[in-house]
Amino acid sequence: MSGKVSFQILTYGVVCLAILLLPIVVDDAFLLNKYSRYLVSGMLAIALSLSWGYAGILNLGQATTFGLGSYCMAMYLKLKTVPIHTGSDGLPDFMVWNNVTELPWIWVPFHSTAFALAAGILVPALFAALLGWFMFGGRVTGVYAAIITLAVMVVVNLIIIDQQSYTGGFNGLTDLAQFELFGFEFDAYSASTYYLVAIGLTISLFLSLAVTRSKTGLILQAVRDQEERVRFFGYDVALYKTFVFAFSAAIAGFAGMFYTIVMEFASPTFLGVPLSLSIVIWVAVGGRQSLLGAMLGALLVTGVQGALSESETFLETWTLIMGALFVLIVLFLPKGLAGAFSALIDRLAPASRAPISQAVENSPKAEAHIGGAA
Amino acid sequence: MNTSREPLLSLREATVSFQGFIAVDHLDLDVGKGELRCLIGPNGAGKTTTLDLICGKSRITSGEISFKGVPIHALKEFQIARAGIGRKFQVPSVFRQLTVRENLSIGQSRATGVLHNLLKFGSNDDRSRLEEIAVLVGLRDEMETLAAHLSHGQTQWLEIALILAQDPALILMDEPTAGMTAHETAKTATLFNRLRGKHTLIVVEHDMGFVRDIAETISVMHQGRLLAQGTTDEVANDPRVREAYLGSGGIGHA
Repeated sequence: MSGKVSFQILTYGVVCLAILLLPIVVDDAFLLNKYSRYLVSGMLAIALSLSWGYAGILNLGQATTFGLGSYCMAMYLKLKTVPIHTGSDGLPDFMVWNNVTELPWIWVPFHSTAFALAAGILVPALFAALLGWFMFGGRVTGVYAAIITLAVMVVVNLIIIDQQSYTGGFNGLTDLAQFELFGFEFDAYSASTYYLVAIGLTISLFLSLAVTRSKTGLILQAVRDQEERVRFFGYDVALYKTFVFAFSAAIAGFAGMFYTIVMEFASPTFLGVPLSLSIVIWVAVGGRQSLLGAMLGALLVTGVQGALSESETFLETWTLIMGALFVLIVLFLPKGLAGAFSALIDRLAPASRAPISQAVENSPKAEAHIGGAA
Repeated sequence: MNTSREPLLSLREATVSFQGFIAVDHLDLDVGKGELRCLIGPNGAGKTTTLDLICGKSRITSGEISFKGVPIHALKEFQIARAGIGRKFQVPSVFRQLTVRENLSIGQSRATGVLHNLLKFGSNDDRSRLEEIAVLVGLRDEMETLAAHLSHGQTQWLEIALILAQDPALILMDEPTAGMTAHETAKTATLFNRLRGKHTLIVVEHDMGFVRDIAETISVMHQGRLLAQGTTDEVANDPRVREAYLGSGGIGHA
C-alpha cells in the first residue's frame, strides 16, 4: 500500500516537473501565455475533482468561486494603476465614468497586497462554506445541490453585471497593472508568468493529494458511497462536505487570481455557465476520481479545443467535435481516461488481480440473492 | 426483566407515528449494561423502527429515550453515535468503492473532527487493532480487497467488523445473519457470545435457532408494543406470543 502511495507521488511529481520545465523548449511568448491559460484550467479541474470525484458533490457553479478569486486580483491590480488609468481623484477610470465620487469601502482594502492575495483565496472559500453549510446542513444532495450551485452562480453573475459602478459591469475590469511580487514583475506574455502559474498548479495538486490521502479524504469517499452509514459512526457529514466544498472553492479562487494575471482583465464571463460546464467536461474526460487525471483532462481538452478552433479546417465544426468526444468518453469510459489507464495497468500486471475480476462478475448475483431473502 | 443491572438504555412510552400509522406504540424497554437482548416479533412488529428510534434515524413522536441516564432522542445521529451507540443495518451497508482496510479505518471513529483527520494518514490508524478485528471476522486475507468484491456473507461480516472498530458501548444489530450460511451463522453466534459483557447488544433476528444460541432475555414485539419478555422457554410457551406468531386471529383483532 505504501508502495502504491509513493508511486502515485512520483507520477504526480514527474508530471509537474515536465510542466515546470516546458519553457526550456518553448520560447514563444504567445504560446506560453496560452499554455498558462491551460494550466489554470487544470487547477479548476483539480478543484472539481475534489468535490465531485471524491465527495460526490457535483458543483455546476465552480466558476463562481473562480470568478470571485479573479475579481479580487483584478481589483488589486486596478488600484495599482493609480494614477494612470484613473480620474482626477485617484479613482479607477470606469468609476469616474459612472459618476462615483469616492472609492467604495469594498475596494479600499485592496490597496494592500497581502489583503488582496488572502482575499482571492478566502473570499471564495468563505462564500462556499456559507453556501455549503446551508445546503449540506439541510441535507440537500445530488441533483438538487447541483442545481443550487448553478442558480447561485447565475445570481452572482447578474449582481456583478448589475453593479456597474463597483464592478465595471459587462466590461469587467480592464487595463490592469502587471502583477508584481517582491519587486519582480510578471509580464503575462513571458516565461515568468508561466512559471508562476505552474508553481500554483503544483501546489494545488499536492495539497489536494494530501487531502485525499488523509483520513478526512477517506471519510469523504465514504460519504460519496454511503452518506447515511458515515453519519452513524459519529462523523458530522455536513461539516465534512462543507469543508471539501470550501477547500475546492479556495483552489478555484487561487486559479482565478492566476487567470487575471494571465488574461490581464476580469470579466463576468469568468463566472459564466459555459465555463462552469466546460470544467465538468474536462473532469469527466480525464477521470473525476483522479486528481491528476482530471487535471490532464483539462489540459487535453482545452489544448485540443485551442488547436481545433485556430485551424482553418475546423473553424466551423470544432464545437461539434468536442461534443462528440465528450459523448464517446462518457459512454465508453465512465471513469474517464484515468480509469481506462489504471484498468490497462491492472491488465498488464494481472498476477494478484485475477480473483477480483471474478468477484465482480459474481457480485450482482449476490445482490439479487439479498433481494430474494428480504 | 433483569433488575440487578443498572439500565444502560431505557425507552419510556416511546411512540412514533408515520402519517397516522403508529409503528411503535408506547414502548417501554430497559436494557442493562453488558446484556445481550434479542428483539423478536412477526413482520411489521416495529423491531427495526425501534432500532431506528434509538440511533436517531427516525424520531419519536412522544416519549423518551435515554442512554446512560441522559435523554438522547433530540440529538443528531452523529451525536448519538459519539455517545456510544453503533448500528448495523438490515441491508448490509459498507463502502463498496473502498478496500476492507479503508472501511475498517473509517469504522475506527474515535476522532471525528475534520481538521484532526486531515493530519492523519493511513499509518496513524491503530493497525494492530484493525488486524485483530479482521482476524476475528475472517477477513484477514481480504484487507486490500474492494468491499464491492466481497461475497454477501463477507459483506455482513465486514459491517459487523466496522461496528467492532467503532467500539460503541451499545451495539444495535438488525438481522445480522440474514443471508448467511448455517456455518457463518454459527460463527456469528460464537462472536456475539464473546461480545456479551464487554458490550451491550440489542439483536433483531428472525432465525430462532440463532436466537436460542445467544439469548439470555428475549423481548417480543407485536404491533408496536412489547408483548412479552423473558427467557427463551418462557417466551416460547407464552400463549400470546404463539397467537401473534401463528397469526390466526392476529390481524382480525387489530
